[in-house]
Amino acid sequence: MALVVRKRREPLPWWGSCLIFLAAVALALGGGGAMLALQGKPALAGLSVLIGSAVGSLWAVEDCVLKAIPLFLCAVGVGLSFRMAVWNIGAEGQFALGAVGATWVALSLDHLPAAVLLPFMGLAAAVAGGLWAGVAAFLRALLGANETIVTLMLNYVGILVLEFLVFGPWKDPASFGFPMTAEFVPAAILPALPGTRIHWGLVLCGVVGVAVTLAMRSSRLGFEITVCGQNPAAARYARMPYGALMAVVLVAGGALAGLAGFVEVSAALGRLQPSIMTGYGYTAIVVAWLSGLRPLGVAGVALVLAALRVGLESLQLDFQVPAAFGGMMEGTMLLVVLAGSFFSRYQILRRPA
Amino acid sequence: MNPTPLVVLEGIGKRFGAVTACQGVNLAIWPGRIKAVLGENGAGKSTLMGILAGQYQPDEGQVLVNGVPVRFRSTREAIAAGIGMVYQHFTLVPAMTVAENLALGQEGGPWFSPSAMARRVSTQAEALGFAIDPDARVADLSMGERQRVEILKVLSRGCQLLILDEPTAVLTPAETQTLFAALRRLAAAGVAVVFISHKLNEVLAVADEVAVLRRGRVVDECPVAATTSPAELARRMVGRDDFLAVDRVPLEPRQVVLRMAGVWGGGLHGVDLTVRQGEIIAVVGVAGNGQRPLVDVICGLRAPERGTVTILGQGWAEFHRTAPWQGGIGYIPEDRLGVAVCRELDAVDNFLLTTRQGFCRFGVLQRQRARQQVVELMATFRVHPPQPQLAARQFSGGNLQKLVLGREFFRRPRLVVADQPTQGLDVAATHDVWQALLAARTVAGVLLVTGEVSEALALADRLVVLYRGRVVAAFAADDEVEVARIGLYMAGAAAQEGAGS
Repeated sequence: MALVVRKRREPLPWWGSCLIFLAAVALALGGGGAMLALQGKPALAGLSVLIGSAVGSLWAVEDCVLKAIPLFLCAVGVGLSFRMAVWNIGAEGQFALGAVGATWVALSLDHLPAAVLLPFMGLAAAVAGGLWAGVAAFLRALLGANETIVTLMLNYVGILVLEFLVFGPWKDPASFGFPMTAEFVPAAILPALPGTRIHWGLVLCGVVGVAVTLAMRSSRLGFEITVCGQNPAAARYARMPYGALMAVVLVAGGALAGLAGFVEVSAALGRLQPSIMTGYGYTAIVVAWLSGLRPLGVAGVALVLAALRVGLESLQLDFQVPAAFGGMMEGTMLLVVLAGSFFSRYQILRRPA
Repeated sequence: MNPTPLVVLEGIGKRFGAVTACQGVNLAIWPGRIKAVLGENGAGKSTLMGILAGQYQPDEGQVLVNGVPVRFRSTREAIAAGIGMVYQHFTLVPAMTVAENLALGQEGGPWFSPSAMARRVSTQAEALGFAIDPDARVADLSMGERQRVEILKVLSRGCQLLILDEPTAVLTPAETQTLFAALRRLAAAGVAVVFISHKLNEVLAVADEVAVLRRGRVVDECPVAATTSPAELARRMVGRDDFLAVDRVPLEPRQVVLRMAGVWGGGLHGVDLTVRQGEIIAVVGVAGNGQRPLVDVICGLRAPERGTVTILGQGWAEFHRTAPWQGGIGYIPEDRLGVAVCRELDAVDNFLLTTRQGFCRFGVLQRQRARQQVVELMATFRVHPPQPQLAARQFSGGNLQKLVLGREFFRRPRLVVADQPTQGLDVAATHDVWQALLAARTVAGVLLVTGEVSEALALADRLVVLYRGRVVAAFAADDEVEVARIGLYMAGAAAQEGAGS
């Protein structure tokens, strides 16, 4: 008996993709267990801590959702430009600028009531993140600069801007020299949904998800973005403004990453400090890439990767594994899932001898 | 003659989803004979040959090789059984030499001897009358030479049946003759040849027998000697009698829709051109003599460097800044799949590509309304299958072109630019396209860019010959003296009384 590999004629149904994804996650977890064993830690116990602390309690699940919210916002943002085959990998920097924008409003307009202050913070964050991504669109239009490189490099600049502010002008005099701003006034803190620890960012995600889905499916703008991504020559032929559309997806993606920065700085930290940068913007690229760019898929993948982050925190505490272990697990998962996506495009058939 | 057929197809059927590609096909292929498979686009020729070559598996029926039923699961198995195919799009590695390409995918040990391979190639090529340097890089070869390498590749694997899919589509007339000579030599050596085409003259010139395919069925099979004329073949192929005969009732030319005066840019050297409503102006010439920049300038994809372009009474910049989606230019590009449509999008979305402005309210696309329009267009332009939900890549070339034409005419253009609109189309589709272009004259002026002089003569009121970016001759289509000189003009001879008169 021999095996042959053949390209799938019919695309795999959605549950097939889910199955492949889950199998890949299981395989990646197995790889994680093997790495634990290599370090001389009990692999099975480690994995059960990893999983148990991520999904074992209501508290843990709430944690996963909280971490999935910024991931979702960033990933929907980069996914927008991925649809147009524009490679925005600068969500991390746009996230940082969003946090800075929100902080600026929170610190300077702290006398306003929450109903006014919070929307202002969100707006400032979206504008700051959008402008940061707009730099890449501008340089591309003006000089033909590659947007992948520019967005990547702007990440480092954006993080340095944030650090400059918290180490310098915005440093709280009462912080004993720690690089952080003063705590936000209560009106600048995004409240939790009644009866949970989950804040209103979840509702924001729902609104964003629905809006992006509708815009891509039904609007002329979404249609033009799809065409530009599928066939730039046809877009040119049909007189679609390719450069302007590219600016739209970059700026909109930056605005969404900026919103994520707002949600994090307001709800999770309540002040701006360098520890806000935990790599959501980078993980979001993984999320977008694995999700097939559908908002519902983004939500699912964001939850899984958020759960991994939550589980790893406990694993670090309980078994003294190094922090880099988290990066290794995330990387393994990306590799395995991408390798697994082979099965959504090809099938392996048995061939009788 | 050999008493048994090499390959027999019995009751072959194949469906792709809802589309039936072929049905109940019986065919016998004999060694030492050239069989032409003739049919329109979408008639099922390529699918049938794909089944023979192991690319597809039939849903019904069976394939017998030397009387033994076989079931190929891959092209590799078909080659092992002696059946090889040369595809329309070549599968060579441009950066490698001829000999290296032939060695690719060959069975054998891990060692490869370039010199031995080169010797084998030379012997084989000589036997076929092919002049091929085994050490030449494929990237440096012409299309005709690449095709010869493809044929050598198939033969070097010991194939007894050679299938060629539209082999002459990429060849010059001289190369076509070389190919035909080689095919005859192969047949004389006992190889069976199957030749897919929709060009009637070629079939009559080279084939021993012809099978006519229509809508997935073999409607006719006979020796070429028994066929009376190309017209007779064409009638069998399309099942309609009105093929090729287009009535061109001349219309009174009215206002000027396009005027170019001394236009330079992108390889154009001072082109003068005028198109009026009610007439078709054909631009003929060997490909690459300025047709591309000419079309690009008119359609706004390239700015003229010098000279004036007036479109519908407006200057070039002015017109293209505001370019209305309706009542402006309808443009049928040469590269259908690459430029005119998005392969993966369905017919409705592809219709919206250039008409989206008309189906948009408050930024939302009215897909339902567009869908109704597409259904209507599919009926008017005889698009088969009439299913708007199919992706562009699922239509055959001719049907896709009719869809593009329908879309562009829906925009009620007053200037139509048609760039090689019938390239690669069969007789029936060509006829439909011609009719549509003639009908468009009532409201528009038509600029037809074509490589086929016969097409230009059938449709155009006036002809313009391009050579190295210059208009070397311009004359009325009924000027027999000038028409007789077209070949000279295309080769660069300037007109006696000056160009553009």
